[in-house]
Amino acid sequence: MVDSSALTKKFQKEMNAGIASLVLLSVLDKNAEPMYGYQIAKLLEEYSGDASFMKQGALYPVLHSLENSGLLESKVEPSVSGPPRRYYEITAEGRNTLALWQRVWKQMKSFVDRAIKGG
Amino acid sequence: MIKSIEEYLDLLKTELNGSDPATIQDALADAEEHLRAAMVSLREKKPEITEEEALGQVIEQYGSPDETASAYKEVERRTTPQFTREMPKGTTALGKFFGVYSDTRAWGALLYMLIAFVTGVFYFTWAITGLSLSVSFSIFIFGLPFALLFLLSIQGLALLEGRIIEALLGVRMPRRPLFTEKDLKWLERLKLLVLDRHIWLSILYMIVQFVFGTIYFVLFVTILSFSISFIAIPFLQEVLGMGVIMNNNIHYYFPTWSYPLLIFGGVLLWTAFMNIARGVGQLHGRMAKLMLVTD
Repeated sequence: MVDSSALTKKFQKEMNAGIASLVLLSVLDKNAEPMYGYQIAKLLEEYSGDASFMKQGALYPVLHSLENSGLLESKVEPSVSGPPRRYYEITAEGRNTLALWQRVWKQMKSFVDRAIKGG
Repeated sequence: MIKSIEEYLDLLKTELNGSDPATIQDALADAEEHLRAAMVSLREKKPEITEEEALGQVIEQYGSPDETASAYKEVERRTTPQFTREMPKGTTALGKFFGVYSDTRAWGALLYMLIAFVTGVFYFTWAITGLSLSVSFSIFIFGLPFALLFLLSIQGLALLEGRIIEALLGVRMPRRPLFTEKDLKWLERLKLLVLDRHIWLSILYMIVQFVFGTIYFVLFVTILSFSISFIAIPFLQEVLGMGVIMNNNIHYYFPTWSYPLLIFGGVLLWTAFMNIARGVGQLHGRMAKLMLVTD
């Protein structure tokens, strides 16, 4: 028998891998101020409504890999009520890349929609 | 059921075992930052739920330690496979013995043994002076505020010692002071501190650190000198013409055939000490964790 819930989970995870980068770049592009992880997670929670697409913990490694690729910059600042926070900001290179990615996403989206609808 | 953020971080660290050290550090810092922020905001929104329930909800959203660990491993695998390295497995006992030179924990432990001497003297002086002044000042009005300041300084020093231990011995210690209620009267704060078992354990740690620091330092210097002397004997005898023992112009020399043995003995002694230092460092870290970390 096929375990469809496990397969769905796997499908979700594989899709998330690329989309998370696009979403994080977009969020940081729209926001004028640098944001820290928890702030981003809260905002995404608001966007996703009741459906939760990925665990909040999985956002952080994506943020690091975007930073390593030079699309994001970060700095650590002390906070009033707890541990210091890492604030992320999009770089100029990140903005250029995001424009390309958004185009890819639009093409991909219409392609997938057409495939699902069948014509 | 995970009971504290510290426990979550420990589990996460175990799950990430074998990953790149920097990834582990990032993962721990991210989780700590996120979980603490989420706890504070959740407790503000819903003050009626217990600490444990709040933590449960927060972790549910953040992901369990193994889920989080797999997210980091996934990204690490995708982006920088060349940077991850694992300790070669299945090396021989001899390889392990001499492999100590490439183990940063052993070098860290050596450095710690030197530093512990200085910090040990300072902690001891601070703790003894503070304790005796707090007791004798207690007949004055300013005695209680003084005691409060002293106990707060102990908390600060415990945190600092924790940072040194984590940096040099690799034993995870808390990075930030615990949350305290801000609008607490200072007298109540003093009462809380006096009743806290860990404050007294921290003071005890500062006192015994003097003994440990001295022992570590003496061992380090003695064994280093012996090892270097053994290794240098051929040079001293052949080049500088010095004897091992010089007494009333009578020089005692080691025979030439013993040179390889002496050099080997010196290297062996130092390598053995590095191994011991690594072990002692881990033990010391464990002791510090028991005494300095409030659970």
